[in-house]
Amino acid sequence: MSATAIDRGPWLTALARINAVDIVLWALRIGVLLVVVVGTINELIKDPYTAAQWFDFLMFGLTLGSIYAQIALGYTMVYGVLRLINFAHGDFMMCGAFAGYFVATPLENSGFLDTHPVAGMAAILAVAIVVSTTIALLTERIAYRPFRRAGGLAPLICAIGVSFFLEQTFRGMFGSDVKAYPSPSWQRSAFQFGSLQIPRVDALVIVLAVLFMGLLYLIVQRTRMGTAMRATSEDPEAAALMGIDVNKVVVFTFILGGAMAGIAGVFYAFVYKQVYFYMGFEPGVKAFGAAVLGGIGNIPGAMLGGFFLGLVESIGPSVFLDGLGIPAPYQLRDLIAFTLLIMVLIFRPQGLLGERMAKKRA
Amino acid sequence: MARHALAMALAPVALLLGMQIAAAATVGPVTDPIGVIRIPKGAPVMIGAYMVLSGPDTALGEDEERAIKIGVNNVGGKLLGHPIALDFEDDQCDAEGGQTAATKLASTPNMVIALGPACSSSATPAAPILWQAGITDIGTACTAPALTAPDRKPEYDGFVRTVYSDNDQGASDADYLYKAEGYKTAVTVHDGSPYAEQLVTVFGNDYEKLGGKVLSKEAVAPTDVDMHPLLTRIASEKPDVVYFPIFTAAAAQILRQSKEVPGLEHTAFFGGSALLSADFIQAAGPAVVGFRIGYPDISASAMGKGYPKFVAEYKKDYGEGPISGYHANAYDAFTLAYKAIMKVSKTDKAGNLYIGRKALRDAVFATKFEGISGPIACDAYGECSQFHGTVLQFTSADPKTFGVGKNPIKIWPK
Repeated sequence: MSATAIDRGPWLTALARINAVDIVLWALRIGVLLVVVVGTINELIKDPYTAAQWFDFLMFGLTLGSIYAQIALGYTMVYGVLRLINFAHGDFMMCGAFAGYFVATPLENSGFLDTHPVAGMAAILAVAIVVSTTIALLTERIAYRPFRRAGGLAPLICAIGVSFFLEQTFRGMFGSDVKAYPSPSWQRSAFQFGSLQIPRVDALVIVLAVLFMGLLYLIVQRTRMGTAMRATSEDPEAAALMGIDVNKVVVFTFILGGAMAGIAGVFYAFVYKQVYFYMGFEPGVKAFGAAVLGGIGNIPGAMLGGFFLGLVESIGPSVFLDGLGIPAPYQLRDLIAFTLLIMVLIFRPQGLLGERMAKKRA
Repeated sequence: MARHALAMALAPVALLLGMQIAAAATVGPVTDPIGVIRIPKGAPVMIGAYMVLSGPDTALGEDEERAIKIGVNNVGGKLLGHPIALDFEDDQCDAEGGQTAATKLASTPNMVIALGPACSSSATPAAPILWQAGITDIGTACTAPALTAPDRKPEYDGFVRTVYSDNDQGASDADYLYKAEGYKTAVTVHDGSPYAEQLVTVFGNDYEKLGGKVLSKEAVAPTDVDMHPLLTRIASEKPDVVYFPIFTAAAAQILRQSKEVPGLEHTAFFGGSALLSADFIQAAGPAVVGFRIGYPDISASAMGKGYPKFVAEYKKDYGEGPISGYHANAYDAFTLAYKAIMKVSKTDKAGNLYIGRKALRDAVFATKFEGISGPIACDAYGECSQFHGTVLQFTSADPKTFGVGKNPIKIWPK
């Protein structure tokens, strides 16, 4: 008897604490869950797509997701080390894409990109990495470092200002028109596996993105500088007392983030074929969402969040919304992606893999 | 749509923040139910213009800006002894930009009349703001049917346009795709803008009346980049044609990515009038070759008598031919404004100029002339232009080759 009374006590207490907000939140969760489940079941019953088309959806999602993941890494590393949301990071990507464009176009026009694809891609990536890394480093030195000890929202507002500055500078220098990225012939073909096919450019982007992300993970986990980064992320003051040069660590973080942004910019432009001054904003916001989804400050989390967001954007409208008979579902793909993002964060506020450093500190 | 709704909701607030509100007045020799403009001797006649002057669709607005400036030069830069001052505002081809531009023009003292915009997204919230301030607005390339529909709301009473309605464009496109090409099934794609949304609706209705079938009505956001999933979805429906009269950036993405999506090899893609520019050729790259758009006939033979002379002036002033398609409509908008102002203006002995706002609006509606785009004569709802449909086809991916008759070329009617 006494044991039952003890068991019921906390339950009754918890029930008594439920208020209207809790009920609305749970109703929201159940509603979204119903949309997902009912939509998926209906879509599976309707079965409007072939296996090859489902595979295409998957590949498109993975391609987009791998780009989001690379951009998200920059957000998450800077946040991990500086606790700064670097809103200019999407624009570092734009700078890399532009730099790549000015190399890729003459290479394409001369035929070099078709005849020497490896050397051509290496040159494009190298220039993009150098430009976006340089801009990231200049941003850190000129704009962010003076705000490093400033409290409140000043660093965030500075980051937003840098974002506008970069966009308008590129607009002034290169115009506001949309420029077509080269599309060499080897990118236009596809690998064929029976009825399934993977566009070469998608395969290249996914494979290289995973390789680069793996390399970055090894750098952070296995090198002395990576260890210093993680130590600074844990506690910058204690790291400094242990002899770690925090400035060097921050610079190294921006080098890694800038390089990943440059690579992502080139990949993004090769897949979606356009560059213009505002192109970094939307993927930047989404990649930030991906970083939060994975658990901001957590590198594998950022990768996972990027892939998750890309897949939901690609597959979500066709599965959930089409199954419910909602017309023009792709107009709502941002809505569905961010709704799912919010739902994940309601269930797991720390993100999919959690904000590891913060958790340890706590 | 949400942004458009927000802009509409904020319009009255903007009005309260300092712009002039139309009210009956007698000033000098003129009495007018909604107000009188007094322009002191020697002071300029202010003519506002708002159009897209930045972003991917810049050519659309810049082309019109140039035409209006040529119009001003051709009247000697003066109106009844007063210099003409032009105030160009960038509406960015969206609702917020249109609202901001209209608020700026409406709050400018003695703004006589407004020209533009090029985009229906801008005109929809802007025209009521201008008319509430007693300013008549002559649209130059905004073609959404609702703007001059018989059931339009009273706040659009001050809006007319020297460009056709998409009721005509949609019917022409349906006629070409169904009858001339024999496409029996279509998928439409709009981008949420009033222009695209209303045009695909008109097209869909006309296409189905002819016997065609619209398999689905899709939509994208103007800023969308990844069109692969949407195109895969469209491929699953196997349409004969995809009709997507949207703007440069998103349209170029659809066109380029359509070449990479399996199942669309035999599907035709057909765009709209916002895509007639070198910028679109640049954005779409090699995929543009063979691509077709529905457009009003702007070949010299279909235009007014003064058009060749205008083109010569354009080339002389700007060192190149017209960079988009609505320059003639913009030139005619200025001419209409000029003639109407001349008709209703009164000058006192001291040389001050007086213009009744309602009288000016009525004069704009009543003025008829032979424009460089064809005859201009407004109906009761502000539709002043004639329409002759055509289809243009791009022939080269080199933006330097852009020019109507060269790239793209007219392919229909034969």
